[in-house]
Amino acid sequence: MTSAPTAKRSMLPTYLQVAPLTIVLALFFIVPVALVVVVSFFRYQMLVGIVPDFTLKNYIDLLSNPTTWTLYRSTLKFTLIVLAITFVLGFWIAYFLVFHVRSLLIAIGLFLVCTVPFWTSNIIRMISWRPVLGTEGLINSALLKMGVIDQPLQWLLYSDFSVVVAYVHLFTLFMIVPIFNSMARIDKSLLEAAVDAGATRWGVIWNVVLPLSKTGIALGALFVVTLVMGDFFVVTVMSGGLSGSATSGIFNDLQFLNYPRAAASAVILLIVVLLIAASIFRLVDVRKELVR
Amino acid sequence: MTTTAAHVSNARPLQESGEIRLVDVAKQFGNTYAVQNINLTIPHGSYCCLLGPSGCGKTTILRMIAGHETPSSGEIYIGKDMVVGKAPVERGTAMMFQSYALFPHLSILDNVAFYLKMRNVGKEERRQKALEMLQRVQLDHLKDRMPAQLSGGQQQRVALARSLITNPKVLLLDEPLSALDEFLRLRMRGELKSLQDELGITFVHVTHTQPEAIALADMVVVMDTGRIDQADTANVIFNKPKTPYVARFMGGQNVLTGTVESNSGGVFKLKSADGSTFEAKAGDETASAGSKLSVSVRRDHVALRRGDGTTEVNSIAGVVDATEYQGSYVKVTINTAGGVFVANVSDRAYFAEPVDTGDKVVASWSTEDVHILSKADTGVAGDPYLDGGH
Repeated sequence: MTSAPTAKRSMLPTYLQVAPLTIVLALFFIVPVALVVVVSFFRYQMLVGIVPDFTLKNYIDLLSNPTTWTLYRSTLKFTLIVLAITFVLGFWIAYFLVFHVRSLLIAIGLFLVCTVPFWTSNIIRMISWRPVLGTEGLINSALLKMGVIDQPLQWLLYSDFSVVVAYVHLFTLFMIVPIFNSMARIDKSLLEAAVDAGATRWGVIWNVVLPLSKTGIALGALFVVTLVMGDFFVVTVMSGGLSGSATSGIFNDLQFLNYPRAAASAVILLIVVLLIAASIFRLVDVRKELVR
Repeated sequence: MTTTAAHVSNARPLQESGEIRLVDVAKQFGNTYAVQNINLTIPHGSYCCLLGPSGCGKTTILRMIAGHETPSSGEIYIGKDMVVGKAPVERGTAMMFQSYALFPHLSILDNVAFYLKMRNVGKEERRQKALEMLQRVQLDHLKDRMPAQLSGGQQQRVALARSLITNPKVLLLDEPLSALDEFLRLRMRGELKSLQDELGITFVHVTHTQPEAIALADMVVVMDTGRIDQADTANVIFNKPKTPYVARFMGGQNVLTGTVESNSGGVFKLKSADGSTFEAKAGDETASAGSKLSVSVRRDHVALRRGDGTTEVNSIAGVVDATEYQGSYVKVTINTAGGVFVANVSDRAYFAEPVDTGDKVVASWSTEDVHILSKADTGVAGDPYLDGGH
C-alpha cells in the first residue's frame, strides 16, 4: 500500500541526481555530434556555403577519392607503429616502477619524471626535436664526427621516422599510466607463487603480469589510438608537410569552409575509431576486469 | 617429457630428505635485523610450527627457506643441499601463501596445473593431473570456477592442491588458517595434520596462535623479536617453558620471581618482593643465595580459597579482579601485590565455592608443579604478554 507512492516519490531525487551529468553530456557531446552528422548530409555550394539538403554526395566523394584511402592507410600505419612502440615502452617502464623499485617514494618520484615532457607545450616538445634530428643536428653531427657516415642522414627529420618519434615522445605516458595502474593492483605474492611453481622471470611476466595488466593495456591502447587517429598537427609539423593524416583532410575542408564534407569526414573517422575501440573492448572485457 | 611425468606421478624417493637446517642465519633490512643468530634443525617429516607475535621474524624465516628472501648471512640446508641462491623448485619446497595467491585470471584447474605448464607438460596431460589433485582436495566438481567464485575454505584447498602438485619435500605454510572463520579453522587444522601424516613430508607452519601450534606441531619454535627463544615439542614448550617470555607467550602459566633464600636438599626457597614465599625443586639449575630466580606455575595447577593474606609456602594472596567462564573451567584473574596472577579453576571446584570480583582469595600450589625458568624475569618493558590476558 505504501510502496507504490514511495517508489513514485523516490524517482524525483534519482532524476535530479542524474540530471547534471545528463545535461552536460547532452549539451557538449550528443548535440554537437548530432549536428555534425546532420551537416554531413548537407550540400556545399561554392560562394553560397552550406545548403540544407539530404545528399550522400559528401560520402561518395570522400570514399571514391583515392586521397582519402591514402590518408587512412598512412594514419593506420602510424597508429600501429606507435601503438607497438608505446606498448613495449609503457609496459616495461610500468613493470620497472611497480615491481623493481622497492621504495614507494622513489617510484612516485620516477613516475613524476615520466611526466616531465608534459610540463612544456606540445609545440615546444615537437620543435625541440629539430636540433636533435636535423641535417646539422646532434645525431647527424655526432655520427659524422665519429666517421660512421659521410653524408647526413636525411630520413631523421621531416620523415615518417620523425613523426613516429614525436608520437612516441608525446603519447607513451598515456600508455604508462593505465598499465601502471593495473600492475599496481597485482598482489605481489602472485609473482612469488608463480616463481614457487617454477616459473622463470619471463614465465612470470607472460603468464601472470601480462594477463593481469590487460585492462591497462587496453585503456592505454585506446588512448594512443584515439590520439594518433585524431592528430593532424604533429604529423604535419614533423613530416614537414610530406605526410598527412585522416584529420588533415578535415582541416583542409574546414579551411575552404566546406563544412558538409568536413562533417562527413569526421563521421567516417568517428566510425573507424569506434570500430577500433569496439575491437579492443572485444579483446579485453574492461568492465569485468575493473570490478575484479 | 617422460621424466617429468614420472617425477610428478611417483612419490619422491625416500632418500630425498626434507630435513631443514638453518645455520647462523641472519636477515637484515636496512640497518635493522629482522632475524639474527638463527640455528635450527627441523627433522625430516615433522610438523614444525614457527610461533611468535607479529613482527618477530617468523615469516622472514619461512620466506628464506622458501627462497623468496635471501639471508644476509648464514646457510640453509634442505636435505644435504645448501639451498641459498637456488630457486624454490630446485629446493623442493612449495609455499602456501597467507592470501593463498591464486591467479585470479585462471580457472582453479589451471591454477593447479600452473606448475606443470611451467614444465611444458602438454595441455591434456597437465589438466588430467591437476584434476586428480583437485579430486584429492574434493574440489574436482568446481574445476572451471574462477578463484573469486570460491569461498575462503575452498580457495585454501586450491592453494594446497597447487602447492602439492609440485611434489615438494617441504611444504611451507604462511599463516594458513588466519583468514578462515573459527569453524573452518578447526576443520582445516585437522585436515592439515592428517595430510602431513599421510604425505610424510616436512611441514613448516607459521602462526601467531598458540593453540594452533600446540594442536598441530611435533616441534614448536617460539620466537621473540628476531630470535628463537625455545624450540621443542609442544608438550615441553607448554609445561617447561625455558624463559619468562615463552611462559607468558604460551599462556597458561604464571611467572613468579623471587630471591633465593636457601638451597637445601635440592629445593630452592624463594621469597618474592611482596613477601610471599615459594619453593622449587632444583633440576640442573644452580642458583646462589641472594640471586634472582623466576619460576612458572601452570594456571590449572592452582587451587583457590577465600582468605585474607597468607604466610604459607607456595601461596599468594590477592583480590579477584575478574572471572571468566570458559565452559570446562573458570579463569579467575587475581590482583596481587606482585602483579596479576591467574588461576584456571575447574568448573566443579569453582561452583562449589564461587568467588566474585572484589573477593579476597589465596591461591596455592604444590612444589611439584613449580618449574624453574632459565633466566630471571627482567621485567616487563616491552612485553605485551605480561598482563596475563592470554
